[in-house]
Amino acid sequence: MHLQSIQLIHFKNYESEKSQFSSKVNCIVGLNGMGKTNLLDAIYYLCMCKSQFGTTDRLVVQQGMEFFRLEGQFQKEDKSYKVVAKVIPRQRKEIELNGVIHPKLADHIGLFPVVMITPYDIDLGMEGSEIRRRFLDNSLAQIDATYLTALLSYNRILRQRNAALKSFPPYQANHTLLDSLDEQLVTPGTLIHQKRAAFVKELIPIFTAYYQEIASGQEVVDSLYKSTLLELPLSQSLKENREKDILLQRSTVGIHKDDLQFLIKGYPLKKFASQGQLKSFILALKLAQYEIVKNNSRSLPLLLLDDIFDKLDQQRVQQLIQLLFRKEFGQIFFTDTQKDRLVKIIEPFGVEICQLEIADGAVSELC
Amino acid sequence: MNFSSKLLEEAVNAFSSLPGIGKKTALRLVLHLLQQPTEISEQFAADVLKMRQHIKFCSQCHNISDEPVCLICKDQRRNASVICVVESIRDVMAIESTSQYKGLYHVLGGVISPIEGIGPSELNIESLYHRASQDTIKEVVMAISPTIEGDTTIFYLSKKLKDLDVQISTIARGISFGGELEYADEMTLGRSIVARIPYKK
Repeated sequence: MHLQSIQLIHFKNYESEKSQFSSKVNCIVGLNGMGKTNLLDAIYYLCMCKSQFGTTDRLVVQQGMEFFRLEGQFQKEDKSYKVVAKVIPRQRKEIELNGVIHPKLADHIGLFPVVMITPYDIDLGMEGSEIRRRFLDNSLAQIDATYLTALLSYNRILRQRNAALKSFPPYQANHTLLDSLDEQLVTPGTLIHQKRAAFVKELIPIFTAYYQEIASGQEVVDSLYKSTLLELPLSQSLKENREKDILLQRSTVGIHKDDLQFLIKGYPLKKFASQGQLKSFILALKLAQYEIVKNNSRSLPLLLLDDIFDKLDQQRVQQLIQLLFRKEFGQIFFTDTQKDRLVKIIEPFGVEICQLEIADGAVSELC
Repeated sequence: MNFSSKLLEEAVNAFSSLPGIGKKTALRLVLHLLQQPTEISEQFAADVLKMRQHIKFCSQCHNISDEPVCLICKDQRRNASVICVVESIRDVMAIESTSQYKGLYHVLGGVISPIEGIGPSELNIESLYHRASQDTIKEVVMAISPTIEGDTTIFYLSKKLKDLDVQISTIARGISFGGELEYADEMTLGRSIVARIPYKK
């Protein structure tokens, strides 16, 4: 699967721009602030119906404009697909596939799998658990439609439950209402838990193998899936924490509290890893994510590599490219501030590469 | 919009406060009334006022009624051992127009949604419990929309009523009549397969 061309209208710093891509490797070069990352984000948007950085649509639209429109021409198993995103922030959001509007945005996710690697991924190792749950959700939503459906209903029931907990006057909780909501949480919650556990199980061997290669086999790394559901079934833990939930007026157990624990030589990554180890760790994790999405999708996912020289030195970039090209890979997009730097690294592999230059929201082809 | 008359403006504002009526439609309605004799407007206003002042809600099922007890609850030919629980009065009308149901109704007045500030105490649940605990009632049918909030309501009601000697049922969910399987969404089709029914020869 690959993206042949894209058209952006009023998307971030793009007024109106069209671009063609190579089906193999594309390298987008340009100075800082010219819109390289925004172009990757537009590609991501067409696949995932949202911006990679969790930005609200109101901020995605070009300043002073009311709407934005993206159009992508995808090629998948010898068929072409036109994906159009038409968004008026806070009013209308439509994703069209070959002229037909998806009744639900969730239907679109997973049709065009994508994995994006950005300098911000380092937050996976440093920030709170939410970003790691998003990592799990982002991967699973693309490879399993039932996962996304379950997650959407779980979140909706959870919001109702929290609103209910806040609405009770002191010492007058409506236990029958909580029973009903708990019962509804159990089915999607348990399904999400099982899928996450299976995903992490599949992830670990791939991830550790990548890490050994990137860090030349020095230390042992691991990733543990933490969930209250591992100890107690959801129905039971909801019941046991009922009084606590009522006092705190929010739900304290469930898959919305899950986390991934990252370990290096048996110690927490956040506290014990050096900067270099941290970078290698995150890169191995993201490559493993790409591989799992690839193994579980019918077509090769797009890989968007944003500004890799920012966090990796030349040698690591070479290593990364070597790892990527060794196995079967799909269309890849790089961004870089220096012209020809990546071309020199990639040329020895004999892979077709197309260089695009961006200046102030205008794309010109160099290849 | 610029009005030459304050009276006209007020009337337009009054009409446009109704759901589904914008400023332009409101103006059209007002101008139409202006072209008619005064008596038409008087009759119109009187009808609205009379409806608002004299309409009652049935003391049993909370349906709209002219009397303290509505025509459906009063009707001796209806099966008084079955109660059909619905969200709103509009659902009563929808089910009545199928002419497939001959029991009584109970209008909840909404579904449980704490986010919207609607808890069980905002709905007509106590009176349902009271009605269902009468010996004559054999079955309670839940005809509530299959949404997440609708499901919460069904769960809640079934827990409230579980000690009573009544059969609790819900309306069937699945493939719509005249629908084609290939166009059904996966969740509906999946549910229909799981909740399949024996074929009667």
